[in-house]
Amino acid sequence: MAQRALWLVRHEPGTPPGGTVRFSRRFPTVEKRAKVFNGASYVPIPEDGPFLKALLFEFRLLDDDKDFVESRDSCSRINKTSIYRLPLGGQELWPVIAFLRNGMIYASIPLVEQTLSPPPPLISISGISQGLELLFGIQDFLFSGQKNDTELNTRLSQLPDLLLQACPFGTLLDANLQNSMDNTDFASVTQLPKQPAWKAGTYKGKPQVFISITEKVKSMQYDKQDVADTWQVVGTVVCKCDLEGIMPNVTMSLSLPTNGSPLQDILVHPCVTSLDSAILTASSIDGMDDSAFSGPYKFPFTPPLESFNLCYYTSQVPVPPILGFYQMKEEEVQLKLTVNLKLHESVKNNFEFCEAHIPFYNRGSITHLEYKVSFGQLDVFREKSLLVWTIGQKFPKSMEISLSGTVTFGSKSRDKQPFDHICIGTTAYVKDEN
Amino acid sequence: MGPPSRDAWAQRLGAFRTSPAAFLAGAEGEHLGRDLLSDLRSEKLSEPTKVSLLALSLEYPAQLWPDAPAAEAAATSLLDTLVLLPPRPSALRRPLLLATTTVLVAGGALGPSSGASGRLLPLLLGLASGRDVGRSFGPASEQRPLQATACECLRELESCQPGLLGGSLGPLRSLLGQGGPVQPLSLLLALTLRHTLLVRGRSGAGLRSLLLAGVSSGGSAWDWTLAKGDVHLQPQAPCWPTAEGEQGPAEGEPSSEDTQELRATVAQLLDASYLLTPVAQAQLLWLLGWALRGLRTQPPVLFKPQLVRLLGTAQLALLHSILALKAAFGEALFTAQDEALLLRRLTLAAQHPSLPQPTHLFYLHCILTFPENWPLGPEGEEAAPLLLGPQLCRSLMPSLLHEPMALLARLHLLCLCCAEDEDEEKGRVQSPQQYLEELLAGLRQRAALEGGPRALAILCFQASYLVASCLAKQLTVVTPLIHGLAQLYQARPVLAPHFVDLLDQLGPELREPLRQVLRQEVVSRPVRDEALRWHLHMLAKVAGGDAQNATLSFLQAAAAHCTDWGLQQALLGVCRVLLQTSGGAGLADLLQVLARQLEDPDGRDHARLYYILLAHLAGPKLGMALGPSLAVPALASSLVAENQGFTATLMVQETPAPIQLSLGPQRAKGPFPVLQLQVETLEPVYSLELRFHVEGQLYGPLEAIHVPCLCPGRPTHPLSLSLQPRCPAPAQLDVQALYTTPAGLTCHACLPPLAVSFADLFLPFPQAPKGAESNFFEELWDSCLPKGAESRVWCPLGPQSLETLVARHLGPFVVVAQPPTSYHIAVRLPPDSMLLLRLEMARGDGVPVALRTDDWAVLPLAGDYLRGLSAC
Repeated sequence: MAQRALWLVRHEPGTPPGGTVRFSRRFPTVEKRAKVFNGASYVPIPEDGPFLKALLFEFRLLDDDKDFVESRDSCSRINKTSIYRLPLGGQELWPVIAFLRNGMIYASIPLVEQTLSPPPPLISISGISQGLELLFGIQDFLFSGQKNDTELNTRLSQLPDLLLQACPFGTLLDANLQNSMDNTDFASVTQLPKQPAWKAGTYKGKPQVFISITEKVKSMQYDKQDVADTWQVVGTVVCKCDLEGIMPNVTMSLSLPTNGSPLQDILVHPCVTSLDSAILTASSIDGMDDSAFSGPYKFPFTPPLESFNLCYYTSQVPVPPILGFYQMKEEEVQLKLTVNLKLHESVKNNFEFCEAHIPFYNRGSITHLEYKVSFGQLDVFREKSLLVWTIGQKFPKSMEISLSGTVTFGSKSRDKQPFDHICIGTTAYVKDEN
Repeated sequence: MGPPSRDAWAQRLGAFRTSPAAFLAGAEGEHLGRDLLSDLRSEKLSEPTKVSLLALSLEYPAQLWPDAPAAEAAATSLLDTLVLLPPRPSALRRPLLLATTTVLVAGGALGPSSGASGRLLPLLLGLASGRDVGRSFGPASEQRPLQATACECLRELESCQPGLLGGSLGPLRSLLGQGGPVQPLSLLLALTLRHTLLVRGRSGAGLRSLLLAGVSSGGSAWDWTLAKGDVHLQPQAPCWPTAEGEQGPAEGEPSSEDTQELRATVAQLLDASYLLTPVAQAQLLWLLGWALRGLRTQPPVLFKPQLVRLLGTAQLALLHSILALKAAFGEALFTAQDEALLLRRLTLAAQHPSLPQPTHLFYLHCILTFPENWPLGPEGEEAAPLLLGPQLCRSLMPSLLHEPMALLARLHLLCLCCAEDEDEEKGRVQSPQQYLEELLAGLRQRAALEGGPRALAILCFQASYLVASCLAKQLTVVTPLIHGLAQLYQARPVLAPHFVDLLDQLGPELREPLRQVLRQEVVSRPVRDEALRWHLHMLAKVAGGDAQNATLSFLQAAAAHCTDWGLQQALLGVCRVLLQTSGGAGLADLLQVLARQLEDPDGRDHARLYYILLAHLAGPKLGMALGPSLAVPALASSLVAENQGFTATLMVQETPAPIQLSLGPQRAKGPFPVLQLQVETLEPVYSLELRFHVEGQLYGPLEAIHVPCLCPGRPTHPLSLSLQPRCPAPAQLDVQALYTTPAGLTCHACLPPLAVSFADLFLPFPQAPKGAESNFFEELWDSCLPKGAESRVWCPLGPQSLETLVARHLGPFVVVAQPPTSYHIAVRLPPDSMLLLRLEMARGDGVPVALRTDDWAVLPLAGDYLRGLSAC
């Protein structure tokens, strides 16, 4: 369940070799065990340079690798997980957990407590899930609330000390790195027996509980008679409890509004102590019927100190809150586009803010734009190839707004412009934020 | 020289981290470890700098102190530094403990003979149990974190040396009950318990006394007995796949006290598990699962209360540990309903929009390798779980909007489902097969987009390959797939390398139809295409087989457009493939045209060469000549390879001889001596020609012998080689063999020379009429003189009698015999000499021989022959 080494690699397109190792950490005691467990199939951990190159090659991020390379692109080399096999100096390093998020590749190599040939199934390697948790933890720490590169650098510089707390010997103690940071601060407080490891100290002060519910709607609208539109709500309940005592017991009960759709696919935070079996089995897999459990949804838990996601759910609302129409026509160098948005009458016409994002992928930066909006205002982010239509806090009385215009793009240089493997040609989407 | 400043160290550490091997090989590398240890005690360096030095020793101890003595010395120095710290709060104590532990383990110094180990272990145990370990251990505020750190250090030591803490089970357990730090103690106790069960045999005999033992009185030496067992870090398959009792049956049933105590400890650990962080909870479950697996006396029902709580979480590590328990205990812990619920949660989590992509992928993998209660298929093979009904499966259908890896994982599942219920699904509104077909069509459509990224093409081909390999036998899936691919080629010939790769990877049952379809696709294209290069690339893979005319006319038409060297070479490459596979008159015409028409002289030369080869070599030989050359490494350019291939095939190879020749028994008959040759071979040889040559003018020219075929181990007729001596003298025959190998190469080998002895030349006189033998001999005898010579020789008999000697060596030549005392022998020696012998009056060990010959040169040879007879 331990990790042999871990790396953070910043992808830097256009600057050879395409990235830099921003952080790396090796765990020699684990390496010692790997040598014994893996026996003849043992492959040592490489230095940062060769590892970086092999990783970027595998992710197709090297600057000079646009051609077909059989060792990487062969149709039989099918990878269905974030676990890679990296060729390094005639040997193959496996299993390498790696994923790319926000321009950063997070990578680690878990210890496999047996021989590597034949490779055991991933499900039998405890270090895989532990490694992923560690990398997710680092990702959360680096990017939660972080806005710019300076902040990122500060957080990166805190990593060595934090890992000394959270993962001193390669075995992860707590995936919540922020917790480890607080732990250091709380060190002077005398901890009580039966203090949970995920709670660095105790709260003193006025008891209060904050709850916020965020819902995102994903919708596909076809504007066709024979194809049904689809939409799904994905919700998160965020909770922050300021309560005294080591283990205060809280029970949160969520009820649906009248005619509200039942919650499904509920996943809870580990601090939830028990769950009704109806909650466990409510799932979108079954589709909707009248017998679906419709609450109240009770979550008994002992809260940690920090703000946390008490639960995630999905739900199927009867109608999408905003109906959209998006048309795009390619005419030589320019795109003609039309966007119509209509707010559904059942939705309260009052927002904190409302924006429509219209991104363009796999094209050059925007060089020219002519447009007409019936309401709100349009901002152009030329370099990001993005249009942002600010609608404001209300739709007009008609509940309908429209945008039409033509966009011209500069020459395509793939490294700088947004890339997407689906939005090619006239395949595109609009994102409403409110 | 004073200690380097903070900046100097920062620089040095930076240089080291860039490439440790290069740094250590350099001038500065030598003293790094020593400087680091001494500067840790320097008062001029700040604590953060010292922490960064310790961080380095935590990461690279094996590089800094490579052998056990160096590691021992470094650990001792670190311990001294720790003891010397002033008793105020310091950020160094934790990292010093961690570093000492790391250095000892990584350097291989941990052991009973190591002084540092002897100091560190009691110190850690003391800290872990919250005892007062001396004045240097700082203020009370630091005790709690140090206690946790000491537990972590002990856990690491136990991990690397199983059994090390076996003697401390009791103290650790009571500490957990008394309110020590829950998480580090729980994990340490669970690990030690697991190792103790492993070391003591699966029965866990004597466990009770260990679990109940109190803190040993201080001062006694560390108990290493349990750590020295031969289980030390044996590579082991931890708890996968489901095979209860895989490690053999329990060695004797444990006593009920042991069982009870073990159960109480496990229950104690599980009860407190809620207090652990999620990742630590997962570790605890893995450890306890490992520990209890195969213990018949420990029903895994202890885990049950935890499961319901854990099944609801979104935490990857927790769900994974439940799967580990499932694999370890199977039906003993999970009823069929539980299994169904677990699978349902897994399916749900594998697609939950709130979870990140890598988590989805891992769960999809877990579904494909789901640890079933009653698995049907072979272990280790990916399969759809039995309980994954059509409904769950439908929820995991791939769609074009998925990320490539998720799409492939879901596609694999879909293929497995299609393979399973080929028949059941008929009559549905949309069968999985139809869905699959549409999906693949969508993927191809995307891959066909002009200017689309290569990733899309890769995905399309990977998906096609996956479907083809899972559902190769389902024609309803495979046929549209093949035609769809042909259309994709039509739309985007630039994907030719992908097609070639796919053809290489596919099984033969799909490769042929796809080849055919693609060939038709290519040859029906106009040659004026910009994609001619790709068409030729493709043809080089798919040409051959039937319908060559279309290919040839395509090539003929293409020739006019092959204006640059590269295209011409590609064109010739296709011709080359055709040469190898089929040949034919049409090809000869084409090559002749090319030899005249191509602009590039190199291209013309090649075409001409191919034409000559086609005209002169038979099919198999041509195949050999053009096939991959074994003499050249695969990376050499095709031109070099080609030339080498020709050289190898068209020229005669010198090889060591696989053939052995030997002389068989003589048959003295006829006008000339004839040698009987026995031939044996080590490998099959065809069209063998044996050539003989004799030095000087002793014999007339020797005819070569031809053998059509020789195989090892198969008996052969002796070969006859007739000699035409010009004078009756022995000689050496040089022998050469020329033959063809089964691979079609022509080889030449020199065989060891064959010795023709004097006796090999003997021929009998024609038989004299009955009764006249004596006269006949006397006439011969008299005719020798005066031009000939006469002599008397002593012929030793050795152990044999005269009768035997004559019968053995001279039988055919006896003219007059009065056994056993007197023999008159006449030997004809071609071309026109004779040798006459009278053997009479044998005396014990020899016989006097009177001999006459008409050729005085024969005398010495005859003498040698007679003297040597007894030895033969």
